[in-house]
Amino acid sequence: MKTLRSFPGNRIIWHAIIVGVVWLLLLLLNNNIDPLYSSYLALVAMYATAMFGMTILVGLSGQVSLGNGALMAVGGYVFALTSMNWQTVPFFGWEWNAIWSMVFAGLGGVLIGGIIGGLAARLKGPYLAGLTLGVAVGVPAITNRFPELLGGENGLMLTVPYPAGGYAALDAGGEVATDEGGDAAVDIETDAGATGEDQQYAELDLSEFDQGTDPLAEEDLLTEDDLLTEDDLLTEDDLLTEDDLLTEEDFGAGGDLGIDENVVDPTEDPGVDGAGLDGTDIAGGGFIDGFDSEFIIERWQASMAIAVACIVAFAALNLVRGRQGRVWKAVRDDPVAAAVVGISPSGSKVSAFVVSSLFAALAGAVFAQILSFIGPGAFGLGLSLSLLVGIVLGGRASLLGAIIGALLLVWLPELVDGLSGERGWPEQITNNAPNLLYGLLVVAVVLLAPGGITGTFKSWIDKAKGRGRATLS
Amino acid sequence: MTNFVDYLLGGFSNGAVIALMALAIVLVWRSTRMVNFAQVGQAMFTTYVALTIQQSTGSWILALVVAMAAGLVLGIVVFFLVIRPVKNSDSTGAIIATFGVLIALQAGAGMIWGGDPQGFLTPVDNSGIEFAGRIWPISLYDVLVLVVTAALVIGLTLLFTKTNLGLSMRAAAFNPEVARLSGVRVNRMLITGWAIAGATGAVGGVLIAPVSTISPNSFDILLVFAFTAAVIGGLDSLIGAVTFGIGTGLVISLVSGYSDSGNAPIVALILLALNLLLKPDGVFGHHGARSV
Repeated sequence: MKTLRSFPGNRIIWHAIIVGVVWLLLLLLNNNIDPLYSSYLALVAMYATAMFGMTILVGLSGQVSLGNGALMAVGGYVFALTSMNWQTVPFFGWEWNAIWSMVFAGLGGVLIGGIIGGLAARLKGPYLAGLTLGVAVGVPAITNRFPELLGGENGLMLTVPYPAGGYAALDAGGEVATDEGGDAAVDIETDAGATGEDQQYAELDLSEFDQGTDPLAEEDLLTEDDLLTEDDLLTEDDLLTEDDLLTEEDFGAGGDLGIDENVVDPTEDPGVDGAGLDGTDIAGGGFIDGFDSEFIIERWQASMAIAVACIVAFAALNLVRGRQGRVWKAVRDDPVAAAVVGISPSGSKVSAFVVSSLFAALAGAVFAQILSFIGPGAFGLGLSLSLLVGIVLGGRASLLGAIIGALLLVWLPELVDGLSGERGWPEQITNNAPNLLYGLLVVAVVLLAPGGITGTFKSWIDKAKGRGRATLS
Repeated sequence: MTNFVDYLLGGFSNGAVIALMALAIVLVWRSTRMVNFAQVGQAMFTTYVALTIQQSTGSWILALVVAMAAGLVLGIVVFFLVIRPVKNSDSTGAIIATFGVLIALQAGAGMIWGGDPQGFLTPVDNSGIEFAGRIWPISLYDVLVLVVTAALVIGLTLLFTKTNLGLSMRAAAFNPEVARLSGVRVNRMLITGWAIAGATGAVGGVLIAPVSTISPNSFDILLVFAFTAAVIGGLDSLIGAVTFGIGTGLVISLVSGYSDSGNAPIVALILLALNLLLKPDGVFGHHGARSV
């Protein structure tokens, strides 16, 4: 083991194996749980992605930043704008798909993060926290500055790419737009609930549609039209699900249906429906080849979020456990000593900022897809504070801590919600209880167990082994 | 030109409140060398207390006094429960802890008083004063805000320059070791600093509440403005906090007047970034107040 670790190449292989195994296990889990839990899984993966960046920034580099929520907004907006406006733009000979949008989201995060990081490298402690606090509070102001481009206060509804082909605007995120920041968790719940309902509709529709295939063959086109308009009232994913099933079971019938819809659509709803059908070839294969023949949006979102989280985790593992991780820690613990051995303290701080911005932007792009919406309310100070809470509770300087923090951020509101349902608490209490707990827990952890959950466990293990007391790292 | 004068005049009372919040941040910085990001959260909480008092008794003065007392107590409570235990550990932890307090206070206020914005009645008329044939952008209430702020600033100045307590506090802030050797009870001075800061912030909260509405998150933006003013003023200068607090208020009023009030946070952010880049010690700051 020791000889294995001494070669960086081998360490990378080990990390790849670990991440690969976790990825596979998570996909297996995702495909075998209720879609509702899949939507939680998607959120956990999204938070974890953002918090790997917080581990590096806050934990290893020692910079308290509240800007990561804003950087998530950057990623989300870039994703939304590129995926909506460049759907038909060929990209270096390839057709545009969601992965390009993700790449651009990441680049946007790196750009903005680099600018803030350049400022941040000159700042210490409270100054940086205050400046980034201003950025977080300023997000709505900035989006309102460009109402045409960014949709102002209402944000943008996302066209969500589907692996089955095409983009479709979801209706589910509609309510989120009006919510103020500060309780992102609540926003997510309503959204998850809404998509859950869609799923039920999709299942109902399937049965109707199967009955309808026969009349179609008899050229009963008009009644089919009526059926389809009803579908339009629901969401476009219903249509796509049906496409999936039909192509797998009887290809001919599915093909006929597709043509019929094309005939019908221009007369009725060219704008909305056209996107769903004409865009079939745009998204290509999407992120992941469907493990499941039935297309379930929560599962797809979760597998997409897991894919991003695993790729980011792999990068983070290599950075944190490699030379760069030691550089960050050295500058955090003693900038002068680090400078003496030839490390540039400001360079180290900027690099931590840029890496965490990249991760935050990718997480933001994932979050925007999960919500199928991007707006200032869900990406304000509340989100930045939740990231800070998660990383502190899980363990500031540990990637595992980031994952535990992400779990806590998703699980605790659910726990409180369940308890409140049992005990019949008023809404005012239920909505605020998670944040009250977070605030008190953060203070308690900082005072009593600065290493968070992972740090505390590590210190217990070390104690059991008879070694020294725990440190932050 | 008339517009310019009007916008400028309209910014004074807002600036006075920002100055009070900045003062609170500076008072805490002077006593414990940390920025209390929960300061405005504490003010929000005590303003809700004042609102409750005003709604039940109808007295604005009583509400203000109770809010000050509550701010004093809350400052001491936060200091004892959070700041003193964390002070000697890492500085990152101290910053995070104050954010923890902020989150808890906002959630607590939401629990007790609900999340909907609530109005706060003004004790005096809040419409523009008519004088010399035109309506000026300053109301009787704005005058009251300025008077209360001025009284508080003068009181604090007298406290720090003319009393033994003020001298001890300055000594404890300037050099705790030497102060302790000279018989100053440094720890008690730190508590006093936090308590006075809490009361000052509470006054600011009660003064701004009728103009903006009050909700658990409505003071977030005030935190940014106050932090900006405090940092530009040098973080340990009382006069700097007051000057740039009012200055920030005027700038915001001008920005809101000529463009849109939504741009105010962006302007504050630009001011803060420029200041941190060009004059990181602040205009009134002593060299070395901020080490890199």
